[in-house]
Amino acid sequence: MNKAIGRVFLVGVALFLAVILNLTWLQVIRADHLATQPENKRQLAKEMRIKRGAILGFDGSVIARSARRSGFYQRKYPQGTLAPQLVGYDSVRYGRSGIEEQMNDELLGRAPELGVQSWLDQLLGRRPTGADVVTTIVPDVQRVAQQALAGKKGAIAVLDPATGALIANASAPSYEAGKLEDEWATLSKDLEAPLLDRPLQGLYAPGSAFKVVTAAAGLQSGVVTPETMFVDTGTYVVYGGKVTNYGGAVYGPHDFETALTQSINTTFGKVGDKLGRRRLVGAMQRFGFWQVPPLPLPSGAVVASGRYDGEGLLSPEAEMDPLAVAWAACGQEQVLSTPLQMALVVSAVANGGPVMRPYVVQEVRTADGGVVEKAAPAEWLTAIQPATALSLNAMMQRVVTSGTGTGAAIEGVKVAGKTGTAERGDGTNLAWFIGFAPADDPRVAVAVVIEDTLSTGGAEAAPLAADVLRAALAQAALP
Amino acid sequence: MNRRTTELLYLVLAGAVSTMAYVSVYAGRFREINRASIVYGLVFVAIFLALHVVVRICLPQADPYILPVTALLAAVGLTEIFRIKPALALLQGQWLLVGALLFVLTVVIVRDHTRLDRYRYLVGALGLALLVATIVAGTTVNGARLWIHAFGMSIQPSEFAKLAIVIFLAGYLDDKKVLLSIPTRHILGVPVPAAKYFGPLVVMWVLSLLMLVFMKDFGMSLLFMAVFVALLYMATGRGIYVVFGGGLFAVAAAVAVWLVPHVADRFSVWLDPWAKADTTGYQLLQSLFTIADGGVLGAGFGRGFLLYANHQPVVPDLQTDFIFAAIANEMGLLGGVAVVLCFLLFFWRGVRIATQAPDGFSKLLAAGLATAFGLQTLIILGGVTRLIPLTGITLPFVSYGGSSITANLVLVALLLMVSHRSNVVRAGTDLERRRLAELG
Repeated sequence: MNKAIGRVFLVGVALFLAVILNLTWLQVIRADHLATQPENKRQLAKEMRIKRGAILGFDGSVIARSARRSGFYQRKYPQGTLAPQLVGYDSVRYGRSGIEEQMNDELLGRAPELGVQSWLDQLLGRRPTGADVVTTIVPDVQRVAQQALAGKKGAIAVLDPATGALIANASAPSYEAGKLEDEWATLSKDLEAPLLDRPLQGLYAPGSAFKVVTAAAGLQSGVVTPETMFVDTGTYVVYGGKVTNYGGAVYGPHDFETALTQSINTTFGKVGDKLGRRRLVGAMQRFGFWQVPPLPLPSGAVVASGRYDGEGLLSPEAEMDPLAVAWAACGQEQVLSTPLQMALVVSAVANGGPVMRPYVVQEVRTADGGVVEKAAPAEWLTAIQPATALSLNAMMQRVVTSGTGTGAAIEGVKVAGKTGTAERGDGTNLAWFIGFAPADDPRVAVAVVIEDTLSTGGAEAAPLAADVLRAALAQAALP
Repeated sequence: MNRRTTELLYLVLAGAVSTMAYVSVYAGRFREINRASIVYGLVFVAIFLALHVVVRICLPQADPYILPVTALLAAVGLTEIFRIKPALALLQGQWLLVGALLFVLTVVIVRDHTRLDRYRYLVGALGLALLVATIVAGTTVNGARLWIHAFGMSIQPSEFAKLAIVIFLAGYLDDKKVLLSIPTRHILGVPVPAAKYFGPLVVMWVLSLLMLVFMKDFGMSLLFMAVFVALLYMATGRGIYVVFGGGLFAVAAAVAVWLVPHVADRFSVWLDPWAKADTTGYQLLQSLFTIADGGVLGAGFGRGFLLYANHQPVVPDLQTDFIFAAIANEMGLLGGVAVVLCFLLFFWRGVRIATQAPDGFSKLLAAGLATAFGLQTLIILGGVTRLIPLTGITLPFVSYGGSSITANLVLVALLLMVSHRSNVVRAGTDLERRRLAELG
C-alpha cells in the first residue's frame, strides 16, 4: 500500500512543480508580453494613481484637471465642456484620445524633457507629478463657437493665421466631458457621431468655398485676372455635360471678381477647364490638400483633404475628365475637405502666401512652474505669391461687403471671406463660410460648416462666423 | 525537542510572519499603524495557540508541521482578504473561529479516528445526502450550483461531503481491497476483478457525472472522481483502475462539454481566453494579467494594484477563487512559489502520515485526505494560471469562504488524529521491541 501511496505522492509533486513552472512562465518569461496586451488595462489604471497635469486654455484657465478620489485621480472639467473631442478623454475603460493621449507622457510627468526621477524618489516609491499642458484654445472664443453650433450639426475651426495656432475647435453634436464613461455605450454607437472631431476629421464637400483655391490657381497661373470678363448664360457645356449655377440663376456679362462675389459656377467651371487637372490639383497640394495637416495629435485624429472615392483618398494623379475638373473647380465632384484645411486655405490668403504649421500646444509647464516646452510657429507650405494673395484678399472683402457673404460683416472691421453651399442631393445643403479678419491686418481665420441645413452658406454659416470672429478680435491676446 | 515544542516554535514564527504581513497591508492601505493591527495579529495567534494547547493535551504525538503550515496559509489568506475587502476579513476571522471550534469538537468527540470506520455507511450516506441536497435545494452562483442558503448563510456542502466520502471510501476500500485486487476474469488478456466489485466505481462515476450535470461544476466533480480513483489505486495497487477511472472521467467530461453550456464556456475560454476577452474570458485574462504584473518580487503586501477606484477588484471573485492571483501579484513569484510550497509541505506531511499509519483504514484515510487537499489546491491553482480549465473551487485556508475553512480545519483534525495514533502505536511497538530485546 505504501508503494502506491508513494506513487500518488510523486504524481502530486510533479503537478505542484508544473504549477510552479507555469507561475515562472507567467511572471517572468511571459510577463512583458502579457503586460502589453491590448486587453490589459492595468498599466492604464496604475497611471490613474498619478496626479495628472492639467490641460489649460491659452488664458491660463483650467479646461481639465485631476481630482483625487479614494487613491485614484479622475478628470474634472471646471469650466464645463470645452472642445471635448480635441482635448480628449482619459479613461481606464476606454483609454485616451486627443491631447490627453498625445501629451500623455508630459501629463504623467515622465517625458524625458521633464528630467529623470531621482533614485531617492524611486526608492521611496514616490510617484511623479504631471506637467501642465497649456493649449492654444481660447476658452472665450471656444465657448462662442460651441454656442454658435448649439442645436446644429457642424464644425467650426478657428486659427491664428500668422502662427498656425488653433484658437477654437468646435464640433456638434457633442457630449458632456464629465459624463463620457457613463454614456459611452450610446455615444459610441450614435449615428450622429458626437465623438468625431468634425473640424479635424470631418470630410465635407467644400462647395463654393473651394472657389478660393480655384481663384488662387487661376490668378497665380495668369489664366485670369480679377478684371477678366465672362458671359454667363446659366449653363456651361463641357465634355458632354454641363455646369449650372446655384438656384438656376443667370448673371450675363461680368468680371472674374464678380464671379467670386456672386459665386458663379459657370465661370469657375470655365476657369477650371482652362487650368486643367494638373494645375488645379497642383494648387490644391500647395494649400495642403493630400497631406495630413501636421497638427501634433494621435494618428487618425487629423485627416487629409483631397479627392475621395468610396474607398478613400484618391491619388492626386488620378485621371479626371474636363467635366470633372470643371465641377471640382466649383468645390463639387469628389473633392472633400476638413474645416481645418479650409481654415488653412484662408490663412494662406491672410498671410500673403505662407501656410503655417497648425499647432494646439502652446507650452508645457512643470508642477513648479518651469516652462519645458514652448511652441515655435513655423512655415509649413507656401501656397501662393503675395500679389495673388493681395488680389484674392480684396476680392474676398467684396464677398462680405457686397456679395454672398454679407452676413459675416462686422461693424468697424474689414472681413474677407467666401460662402459655400454644397447641395447634398437629398434636399439638404452643407452651408460654408470661410474667412479672416481684419482683412488689412489678419489676426483670425475661421471655417464654419453646418450640415443638414435647408439654408445657404451666406444665410446660415456667415453670421456664425461673424460671431466667432467678433469674439476672437475682442481678445487682448491671441496665440 | 518534542513534537509539540517544535509545533509551538513554528506557530510563533507563523504568527510573527502573519502579523508583519497584516501590518504591511495596514500601512499600505491606511498609511499608519495603530493598535488595532497589532490586536488583530494577537487574536489570530491566540486562536492557533488554543488549537496547539488542545493538540498538546489530546493528540501530543501528532505531526508538528501541519498546524503551523495551516496557520501560515490562513494568515496569508486573511491578510489578503483584509487587503481586498476589509469587511470580509472580519467575517473570515469569525469563520476561522467556528472552524477552530469544529476542530476541537472533532478531536474531543471522535477522539480516535478508527471509530469512524464503524459508522462508515452512515458517514457515506451523510456525504451523499449533502450532495443530493445541494443538487435539489442549491442555488446557482456564477453558473455553478454549489451553495445552499440556510439560516441566513450560504453553505457549500460539497466541502463537507468531500470529508465524509473520503472517510467512507477509506473504510469500504480497506475492507474490499483484497477482493478488488484479485482478477477473476480476463478481458482481452487484461486481468479484471469480478464485475460486482466494479459497482462502487460505477456508483462514484455516476455520482461525479450527476455532479457535473446538475451542479454544473467541473472542479468538484473532478475532485471526487480523482480522489476515488486515487484511493482505489492506493488500496489495491492496481494501475488498471487509474486507466479505467481516467477513461470514464474523460467520457464524462466530454459529455459535459457537449451538454452543459457553462462547462463548454469554461473549456473554450481555457483554450483561448482572448477570443472572448470582454465576456467569458475576462476573468481568466485579468487573472493572468494580475499574476504577470507581480513579477519576481511583487509590489508588496498592500501595494499591488488590485482594486479600481470604485473598490471593485481587478479580477471578479478575487477574494475567493482568485485569491492566488492577488497573492502572486503582491508577493511576486517568490511569494507565490512559497505559498505553493506550503501546500506541497502540507500534502507531503499528509502522505507521510499515511505511509507511517499502522493499519489500512488509517493509511487510506490519511492518504485520501491528503490527496483531496492536494488535488483541490492543484485544481484551483492550475485554473487561475490557465494550466487547466478554470473551475470555481476554493484554495484551502486561503480563499474567503466559511465552508471551506471550517471543513479544511476538520480535515486537519482528522490528519492529526491519524498521526497521533500511529506515532503512539509505533512508540508502543518500539517500546515492546526494546522490552523484548532486554528480555532476550
